[in-house]
Amino acid sequence: MFDVALASGGAQIALSTSSDDSHPPEHMIDGTDETFWTTTGLYPQEVIVRFQALMSINSVELSSYDVQNIALETSESDSIDSFEPLAEKEVERTDHQLQTVEVSVGERRAQCLRIIINSGYDHFVAVHRLKVNGKALHG
Amino acid sequence: MPTILRAKCIVAGDAGVGKSSICQVFHSDSAQFPKNYTMTTSVELLVKPVNIPDSRDQVEMYMYDSAGKEIFSENVIKFWDHPSVVMIVYDVTDETSFSSCIKWLERVRAMKSQTNIPGVLIANKIDLDQRRLISPKEGKDLAMSNGLEYFECSAKEMQNVDTPFFYMAHEFHKMYQERLQVYSSLA
Ligand SMILES: Nc1nc2c(ncn2[C@@H]2O[C@H](COP(=O)(O)OP(=O)(O)O)[C@@H](O)[C@H]2O)c(=O)[nH]1
Ligand SMILES: [Mg+2]
Repeated sequence: MFDVALASGGAQIALSTSSDDSHPPEHMIDGTDETFWTTTGLYPQEVIVRFQALMSINSVELSSYDVQNIALETSESDSIDSFEPLAEKEVERTDHQLQTVEVSVGERRAQCLRIIINSGYDHFVAVHRLKVNGKALHG
Repeated sequence: MPTILRAKCIVAGDAGVGKSSICQVFHSDSAQFPKNYTMTTSVELLVKPVNIPDSRDQVEMYMYDSAGKEIFSENVIKFWDHPSVVMIVYDVTDETSFSSCIKWLERVRAMKSQTNIPGVLIANKIDLDQRRLISPKEGKDLAMSNGLEYFECSAKEMQNVDTPFFYMAHEFHKMYQERLQVYSSLA
């Protein structure tokens, strides 16, 4: 079991709805809390992460700030149009510390993960880190 | 690449105060004052980019020009979730429209009560000087006591219509910069 959403392991951002080049969605999958992705206004906001191969995933973890409602979806194909719901969560507000969002999913086959921020506690939200525990499916 | 922020601007106020005229004048670069009077039934959306001076950034203003007739209000409020900034408009020749401002403001702020929503109070139709009933002082006082910035304009004369939108775009951009500071301090 390891983090299959690391850029260094071949994961990529396939799509994102916001646009600050200094804080791009790639900052969620660079393996550190130091950098972050920010939304740039309006809700909902979304990011799609494509794993290097079809994975079996067990849990999704996010470190974030000001996220209120978040939904996760997965797709078994590498095209970004056939998603199925995975989880939806209300997240508690934190003050000057990162939120930790943890979703256990049993076992789910996925090549793409879609993260939808439905609402936030402020005009903007930040996601510092995305971690997806899983392993590659062979054969 | 410049950063493009997006702000949802709720434009509210009684029917007939000039909300649609203001939005359209701003949207069309003051090229024309809308001559046909069409009543907005619920909400009309207009988008206009605003450049932020001394930066390469832009704020796209999503103007939600909202109907002021009370019978439409349920329909209107459906479109108001997650407001970024708010513009409350009254007609300086119409006392009722002035006293309605608080009601409109409260309705917008109730959509996102935990979040600071920068806003402006607009005294429109200042070209109708002879018929003016609401003084600048009354307008300023109301704005001040409700945390709004006060502006006067005439959509008809295309006078000072852009300024309040620039102000809101700036405030929104400033809030974004402040948030970035917070996000950076969290790791
Ligand atoms: N004299 C004058 N008339 C205006 C001004 N702005 C709008 N109007 C007129 O007021 C009426 C209502 O304007 P409209 O923009 O439709 O108001 P809304 O219902 O708030 O959207 C129209 O007849 C406009 O031509 C203004 O600055 N001065
Ligand atoms: Mg109108």
